[in-house]
Amino acid sequence: MKLALRHVFVLVVCAFALFPILFVISAALNPLGTLASTDLLPSGASLNNLTNLLTSDTYPFARWFFNSVFIALTASFASLLLSMFAAYAFSRMRFAGRRVGLLALLLIQMFPQFLAIVTIFMIFTRVTELYPAFGFDTVWGLMLLYLGGALGVNTWLMKGFLDTVPKELDEAATVDGATHAQIFWRVIMPLVTPILAVTALLAFIGTMSEFLMANVFLRDPESKTLAVGMYGMIAGDHRNANFGMFAAATLLTAVPTVSVFLWLQKYIVSGLTAGAVKG
Amino acid sequence: MRMRALGVAALATLAFSATACGDNGTAQPSAAPSAASSGPASAPADKGNGKLVIWADPSRVTALKPFADQFGTENGVTVEVKEISKDNQQTFLTASQQGSGPDIMIGAHDWIGNLVQNGAIDPVTLTEEQKAAFPPIAIKAVTFDGQIYGAPYAVENVALIRNTKLVPDAPATFDEVVEKGKELKKAGKVKEVLCLPVTQKGDAYHVYPLFASAGGSLFGSTASGDPDPKKVLVGSPESIKAFGKLKDLGEKGDGALKTSITNENYIVNFAAGKCAFLVSGPWAMADVKKSGLSYDVTPVPAFKDGKPATPFVGVQTFFVASKGKSKALAQEFVANYVTNKDVAKALYDADPRPPALTAALQDVQASDPDAVKFMDAGKDGLPMPAIPEMQAIWEPFGIAETAVVKGGDADKAATAGQKAIDGSLKN
Amino acid sequence: MTLDVREAAETREAPRPRREVTTAFVVSRIAVLAVTAAVLLYAAPPLVASRSWAALAVLAVTAAVLAFLYLTRRFIPAKYLIPGTVFLIAFQVFPVLYTVSTAFTNFGDGHRGDKASAITAIETGSVRQAPGSPEYSLTVALRDGEMVFLLVDPKTKQVSLGTGEGLTGLSGAQVGVTGKVLSAPGLTVLKAPEAAARAQEVSALAVPTRGGVIKANGLSRAVEGRAALTYDAACDCVKGEGDVWKADESQGYFVNAKGEHLAQGWQVNVGFANFARVLTNPTISGYFAGVFGWNLVFALASVAGTFALGMSVALALHHPRMRGTKAYRIALILPYAMPAFAMLLVWRDMFNRDFGLINQFFGLDVDWLGQPSTARLAVILVNLWLGFPYMFLVTTGALQAIPRELTEAASIDGATPWKAFRSVTLPLLLVALTPLLISSFAFNFNNFNAIALTTEGGPFPAESPQVGSTDLLITYTFRLAFGTGGAQFGFAAAISVFIFAIVAVISAVAFRRTRRQEEVYA
Repeated sequence: MKLALRHVFVLVVCAFALFPILFVISAALNPLGTLASTDLLPSGASLNNLTNLLTSDTYPFARWFFNSVFIALTASFASLLLSMFAAYAFSRMRFAGRRVGLLALLLIQMFPQFLAIVTIFMIFTRVTELYPAFGFDTVWGLMLLYLGGALGVNTWLMKGFLDTVPKELDEAATVDGATHAQIFWRVIMPLVTPILAVTALLAFIGTMSEFLMANVFLRDPESKTLAVGMYGMIAGDHRNANFGMFAAATLLTAVPTVSVFLWLQKYIVSGLTAGAVKG
Repeated sequence: MRMRALGVAALATLAFSATACGDNGTAQPSAAPSAASSGPASAPADKGNGKLVIWADPSRVTALKPFADQFGTENGVTVEVKEISKDNQQTFLTASQQGSGPDIMIGAHDWIGNLVQNGAIDPVTLTEEQKAAFPPIAIKAVTFDGQIYGAPYAVENVALIRNTKLVPDAPATFDEVVEKGKELKKAGKVKEVLCLPVTQKGDAYHVYPLFASAGGSLFGSTASGDPDPKKVLVGSPESIKAFGKLKDLGEKGDGALKTSITNENYIVNFAAGKCAFLVSGPWAMADVKKSGLSYDVTPVPAFKDGKPATPFVGVQTFFVASKGKSKALAQEFVANYVTNKDVAKALYDADPRPPALTAALQDVQASDPDAVKFMDAGKDGLPMPAIPEMQAIWEPFGIAETAVVKGGDADKAATAGQKAIDGSLKN
Repeated sequence: MTLDVREAAETREAPRPRREVTTAFVVSRIAVLAVTAAVLLYAAPPLVASRSWAALAVLAVTAAVLAFLYLTRRFIPAKYLIPGTVFLIAFQVFPVLYTVSTAFTNFGDGHRGDKASAITAIETGSVRQAPGSPEYSLTVALRDGEMVFLLVDPKTKQVSLGTGEGLTGLSGAQVGVTGKVLSAPGLTVLKAPEAAARAQEVSALAVPTRGGVIKANGLSRAVEGRAALTYDAACDCVKGEGDVWKADESQGYFVNAKGEHLAQGWQVNVGFANFARVLTNPTISGYFAGVFGWNLVFALASVAGTFALGMSVALALHHPRMRGTKAYRIALILPYAMPAFAMLLVWRDMFNRDFGLINQFFGLDVDWLGQPSTARLAVILVNLWLGFPYMFLVTTGALQAIPRELTEAASIDGATPWKAFRSVTLPLLLVALTPLLISSFAFNFNNFNAIALTTEGGPFPAESPQVGSTDLLITYTFRLAFGTGGAQFGFAAAISVFIFAIVAVISAVAFRRTRRQEEVYA
């Protein structure tokens, strides 16, 4: 009975979550796909929008898709690592400026980012002149930029999580003669897989949907990410004409995220309890 | 672990040094680039010679590419067409200022005032012959402070598009449009009287012909006939009367103007037969044609005993960036290549907007009579004011429009709009 | 326990017997040196070539510090913090500091560059074609390696030679039908690609004439022009067209006697003027209290709503006998996996009165975004939809950290599930999640997109077009900075500083409360 209540509740929330998405699906299937269609059920079902999207000369969707996944995977992996290092130091070590540093990490994220675009141009104009491989129109420059945000909310998330891992574990290891590096890699990391997985997913989604910087950074149609490319599809006066394709693209965008989630899910829900008990 | 940490640290060093350079670079902007180009590490791309960079918005990139390549082949240079999806004008200004902007920028002519005050674009010299090849309104639009600041390539304005099955004859006045629309709605043949986007925030662009026909105006004019930013007329008695007219057409009146009709749905509703009249521009035609409706394009008619219903005219323009690295190439492209009939015609084929070049328009006429009809509807239109002050108008005007459409008091709305505009212009 | 950790940390700093040198240790140190060297080798030469000595010094010092840091056994926290911090400084801290510094300038449209470029722009912009001058067709040629122009008057077909010294007649040149010179005695005529390759030189060459100067206009035409306005350094003013504009360093414009200014200005320091403007602007001060109140409600409702909903579903799924969790979880994270900007637009259209799905689905006729109360409800609802999957994910992750023995122990003790949740699960969750709630509050307090892409601040009362019912501090102040008269970055930066201060104070106060929590578990 109790279990049934849980199912009912979750189903209601799922309905809320999926309601607008059904609308997008309907628009994607609707041959006259439009943002203004009033119907949840499409007036006809066809995969035209999808095929148009995948065969479009104007919108190299497959390239965008690949670019996005590549950038998101690489950047989120690198920033996860940086973030984890910092979280470990913030949680396990006591040093001057620790609380201030934590607060600063939080506050720095609150400044409106788009004002910073002027400075980003300033920095990368020089970088483009000196090191073209990391300049504008390169994926690597954009990734460097993304690493600037590696320390931030995610560091907080992991730090909070690390705080809940009993400290006796690393103390025991220290007594056994392990170095801090060994403790980090052999003791801590295996224990925190759930939150690592959650953070990885969050970082992945964050990079996938990043728009502001990617818009000014990648200007070749071929080098765009999904977020930027798709924005272009409905920007200006092409909004209506492309909405069906756009809806199809929106749905496809969810595919990598859901895949990453499926891959990480087992770490999210299984890892810790067993690990903690064993430790 | 160390290895990874180190790799990261290495990258970090690089990033750090890069920042330091950025800081430096602004201190001596002129010395740096030329010195850099002699350095061994700098790619030839940085020299600017032999390379032309064009920035456009996504819908134009594909259309431009073949011509850019052709120009490149003819002149033995490489041409890159880059795409910016959002905030094009501001991105162009920021990038230009910092030295990583393009050589040529494509945008609407009403950017000119702002681009000029930022020293971002150069005047373009067109020969008398070249100027004569454009309709006067296109040249007027790209002229700012007595100088021509770009080569026009497409002219856009709204017109009245009507479903000829429901309304076979073009209405002579706008009053007839509303009457006929109401009649059809009553008969259940359509759901809406008129498809003209109002939205919750107002849309000054689409409603302007009606506003003008009812006697309203935005600016007074200077001695030379240009809009005068010192004389904002949104709250003038004539404009208040015009807002009153919009109120009569609004939700509490005829129901011809509605906030629920938005830029997302107005074209689609017409295409789906939900309204017999659509006020829109050439960009609507793809959808309208796809729907298979029989339609006709005529100028937006004036109110009975009203002034002419002049639409805003926007001219898509190629600009030469002041801080571009290949200015001679950019001038060559803009002044002598864009003004070529074949190029204009081909640009039209790739992306059908009425070409600005008269000769190209005539060529197009055979296959697409709409282009000429739109051009005709806009020939007496008002080029969108290119003065930077225009940016202060759009929003307060739109809000006043929404207020009266929802049944608000015209006097109050117009006066508040005028006050808001005056307040921001005095800053 | 807390004490132990502190002690452990301290003993690390203290001298202790040297550990044996492991292979890992040697390998890692060699790697440090190798990578540092590689970075130096890559990054240094371009700096040397461009004579950026200061940057080179920074690079060298940074590399040395990094090498030192990772070669010693000390400064352990720094070893973990530095990698991320370097990027943070370069791409977040530096841009923020720079932005704040612009708050003291008039940086914005019309005032982007320095005075020199404003002068260049004024002079270039005033160049007009000399009346009656021919529209020369241009051929670029070389004379002993130096670039010269061959100018053909299209009417008379007369050929002239233009150099940096002036214009002279030229005879013996062969002119093609298009007006291009095919050959000329003693000169090497450049073909189009050759000229294009020297485009910068072509732009730079100015042939002085009696009335002005002939410059290339592209690669095939040249025009004689004259600058109507010229800068005179002696009086620090611009002269021409029968008027004089004097440089005014306080506003960054050239101003004439009537107080009118030339369009092109430059960036100057304005001290605290932007900050004063934020405080004295009647639009900002007049509506501040109301907007701030709604802003707080919006941020708090967003955080509380998303957290409550996200946590509830996470808890509901956190049950050993729950089936179908995988499918549920996928459905629940989908809102988060969709591009937010697209979904915001979709929501906006769903709220449309006549054509929106919501009215149609529930058989209503509500002008959702057209009335203050419903518009506010709508944006909170949309934000709930966008944000709850995030809370769901982090709670799901954090729930795994709570050993089941604890909750089981509580239920064995006879606590009701609600009590067990209140006394065991929630406090532990909050240890991990309070910081996220704070940061989520800060994010939503400034959630520009959620408003800009749905209501754009509206609905607006007819009598005050500046401030709408759903406007946040950031949306209505930025409308003042960007919506009118071009982008005013300096003003926007000053506004940001104020809003930043407000959010920072609220967050810092909340953050202080986490200190106790931090030690709860330990």
